[in-house]
Amino acid sequence: MRRRAGVGAIQKQKLEQEKYKEKGSEIQENQFQQMCKQLEVFRENLEDFASKHKNEIKKNAQFRRQFQEMCAAIGVDPLASGKGFWSVLGIGDFYYELGVQIVEVCLATNYKNGGLITLDELRSKLIAARGKAKKHQDITNEDLLAAVKKLRIFGNGFTVIPIGKGKWLVQSVPGELNLDQTLVLQKASALGTAWVSASILTGDLRWNETRAQNALNHMVKEGLAWVDTQDTSETLYWFPSMFAECVSA
Amino acid sequence: MAEISWPWQYNFPPFFTIQPHGETRAKQLEAWQQLISEYLKATKQSTIDIRESQNSPLFNNTAINRKLSQESLLTILEDMAKTGRAAPVDKSKNVWEVYWHSLDEWGNMLYNWASSNGLNNTVCTLYELREGENTVGEEFHGLDLNVLVKALKSLEVRGKCELIEFDDNQGVKFF
Repeated sequence: MRRRAGVGAIQKQKLEQEKYKEKGSEIQENQFQQMCKQLEVFRENLEDFASKHKNEIKKNAQFRRQFQEMCAAIGVDPLASGKGFWSVLGIGDFYYELGVQIVEVCLATNYKNGGLITLDELRSKLIAARGKAKKHQDITNEDLLAAVKKLRIFGNGFTVIPIGKGKWLVQSVPGELNLDQTLVLQKASALGTAWVSASILTGDLRWNETRAQNALNHMVKEGLAWVDTQDTSETLYWFPSMFAECVSA
Repeated sequence: MAEISWPWQYNFPPFFTIQPHGETRAKQLEAWQQLISEYLKATKQSTIDIRESQNSPLFNNTAINRKLSQESLLTILEDMAKTGRAAPVDKSKNVWEVYWHSLDEWGNMLYNWASSNGLNNTVCTLYELREGENTVGEEFHGLDLNVLVKALKSLEVRGKCELIEFDDNQGVKFF
């Protein structure tokens, strides 16, 4: 005959469980404290590092990129906040400043490119605008991309459009480009002609007539493309943002 | 032909096709108006005959094989007329006067010239103003006669001069 569990056994079990629980929270507490300590140390080191190399971070593009990569690897974004302990890095400020200048260049060139600018043109205009006083501050394309990404918090007014082969366009007017329209830009960039036509899209991208025409019409409606009806074979759609003389003007 | 520095748009093929999109068209028209004004200023012309426009390099860029059609030019000129920068001379709107300065600006320029040369209350012939030695180097030297007369008339309305006809010549008296 099986013995039924006595009250004593139950109480013993209960006691054990409680002890386990206690031990568990003790360990947890321990770990937490350790984590806090580690974080504190890490923070101190990072602050140390950042303040020691603050100027280097600002001036040296290569160094800045590596620092960014390091931060990304440990899952922190030094741009995320201007407050808190990241602010001592002054990195945020660097990109905020860059962001403002990007907006300025985009607005200043909007009249000719309709709000679409190649990253290269943006960079050369921006460096020219920053002037000699800061000539030691190299600006790389990565910096610009990071800064433009920050501008996204203002809505979809600023977007980066990859057009292949390490090239980007920065769009500074509201209005999302859909995939097809992005492909159109990529095609124009790949051809290096600054224009595309319906037949190129139907031929190279295997689109049907309607799809090609829709995409092109939308680019015209957004003020990004200009229509040229004087070609002997068909209508051409030109992008001033990619037209060499416009870029250098 | 006088040297002119063409803007980038001049080599941009769609510049020669009037754009369907409103905002783009506004930019295009503005660029054309500037180009036309500057070209005429550099070549000292004041009139455009739409029927002959394509003989001019201004409206016919042979390098990129693009021309501005007559209708397109008419569109641009009509837009210029809205802001007083051009006016049709004939009823069929074929010949246009283009004012690279507004008539008022021309008038002021003439009046200032007269004042600073102590010519108030004396009579100058229009020939003197346009071709005289004293006006060499002035912007209105060699200005189209019709434009000159219109500019002086706008000045006359403001009571700053009086146009005078004598024999088969015209003169003006600045006050």
